Amino acid sequence: MLKWFECVDRKRPGIISSRVRLVRNWNQYAFPSRLQQKESLEMLRRLELGLQNLGSLDGKHYKYYDLGELGELEKKSLQERRVFNSTIASQKTPTGLILSEEEDTAIVLNGTDHIRIQMLSPGLHLGELWTRCDQMDDYINARFPYAFDKKYGYLTSFPTNVGTGMRASAVLHLPTLSMGKKFNGLVAEMGRFGASVRGVYGEGSENYGALYEVSNQKTLGLTEKEILDLVNRVALQLLAQEKQVRRMTLEKHRLEYTDEAYKSYGVLKYARRMSAKDAMIFLSQMMSGIADGILKTREDCAVYRMMLGIQPANLQKASERPLGKEELDEARATYIRSELPELL
Amino acid sequence: MLCERCKIREANIQYTEVINGVKTEHHFCAQCAKEMDFGPYAAMFDSEFPLGKLLSGLLGIGEEQEEQRKAHQVICPSCKTTYEEFIKNSRFGCPECYGVFDLLIGENIKQLQGSDTHKGKQPRYHYQEEGNSLSVEDVSGAGNEIPGGELDAEEQIRILDARLHEALAREEYEVAAQCRDKIRELREGIRKC
Repeated sequence: MLKWFECVDRKRPGIISSRVRLVRNWNQYAFPSRLQQKESLEMLRRLELGLQNLGSLDGKHYKYYDLGELGELEKKSLQERRVFNSTIASQKTPTGLILSEEEDTAIVLNGTDHIRIQMLSPGLHLGELWTRCDQMDDYINARFPYAFDKKYGYLTSFPTNVGTGMRASAVLHLPTLSMGKKFNGLVAEMGRFGASVRGVYGEGSENYGALYEVSNQKTLGLTEKEILDLVNRVALQLLAQEKQVRRMTLEKHRLEYTDEAYKSYGVLKYARRMSAKDAMIFLSQMMSGIADGILKTREDCAVYRMMLGIQPANLQKASERPLGKEELDEARATYIRSELPELL
Repeated sequence: MLCERCKIREANIQYTEVINGVKTEHHFCAQCAKEMDFGPYAAMFDSEFPLGKLLSGLLGIGEEQEEQRKAHQVICPSCKTTYEEFIKNSRFGCPECYGVFDLLIGENIKQLQGSDTHKGKQPRYHYQEEGNSLSVEDVSGAGNEIPGGELDAEEQIRILDARLHEALAREEYEVAAQCRDKIRELREGIRKC
């Protein structure tokens, strides 16, 4: 079974992925930070039991994991593949995970909240993800009464999630737009509409790979549909602007642009060691080259899958041992060579 | 308005009480409020307590440390999270915290979220709006409309048992009795299998 990130959505190559996440709490227990070890274990056992036939809802194959029994490397690699965030990955209290085979549906139990439902897909499909999340939410709710307040909505550990408990987001590839001077202003503008835009990879103000995640800032006072519409609108707006500046660049500097795409492909194909930063930059240039029809491959190439694959924990997991920095760079170059498609 | 207890001093504290869904409003002066039992809020009325100053203090405008200290003594009776802990971690300890700290942090939530009123989805099951009561059928039939969502007998018993306890606490004795009968019926069904 292919993982969700191994699939390619050809419709809009600039939109890498969509995600909808809901947080809920069972009204019979205090929030995770206030639960004693014994209560956590008891609650987890009851949640696991109540959700053991989750597959009957959508026909997917689910597996239950006790995060405490997974190794650090395994947890880190799940975090790199976006199954959960770093807070949950570093959590020491008993935490459960129900994960579909495709890794597109994940329910974290007793993380920062009792129940965290997350669905991911390639491309822009927020509406469909919400429909599925909504149904799974009802399925869980039939078994576990939720903490809900007429005024504040779904009650959550953090006031930043209260209300709908929903975060909708889309990851976009904006290599040309993000290089422009106006980009920071554009990001600030989106903030005024209630959408936040942040770089996915990189440190400080630097961004490697030109991947940006758009998500809703607020969770209270908006309906789920309004949140989805907002993120959808902002994602499409940014993509339209990216397309516009890309077209202009291609018209004015076609040779330079084509040269860059081929050179990046060449480095990826022949390099023997590669830092994470360089790999992200070259993969990003190859991604635009493919999207613009400059680089042609026989089969669809899931470049995003490679971007996830070159992250440290995933490389170490594939090598089945911890690697030093030099070894990591070597393993990264080897991985890329093995995954890189042939050009037509 | 005069304080409804002493009927002498000006009332400057409005106290809203909701018991079994019945909402009543009271108006007291600070002194009477101090003498009464307000559960987790009692600490706030230990002395002349200007509420306006408290909120401005929370928003970092005033330096009313004494009042801040009083507010810090507000504690959630259910999970024992103190106001101080909440401020430190920006994290609630349990669903009841929202009600307990509402007065102190309502404005902050509004600032953070741009709103203080939910208008999205409501739980499809096991949620009763004020004045409504969940019947035994509502509880044991939860999930029936969802593919593969029907509850098995064990799950029905677990969830009916929770409803039974809730009904007793709310003095809904008829519902409690129906829950008890349904649980008995389900248990017998399991035994026969």
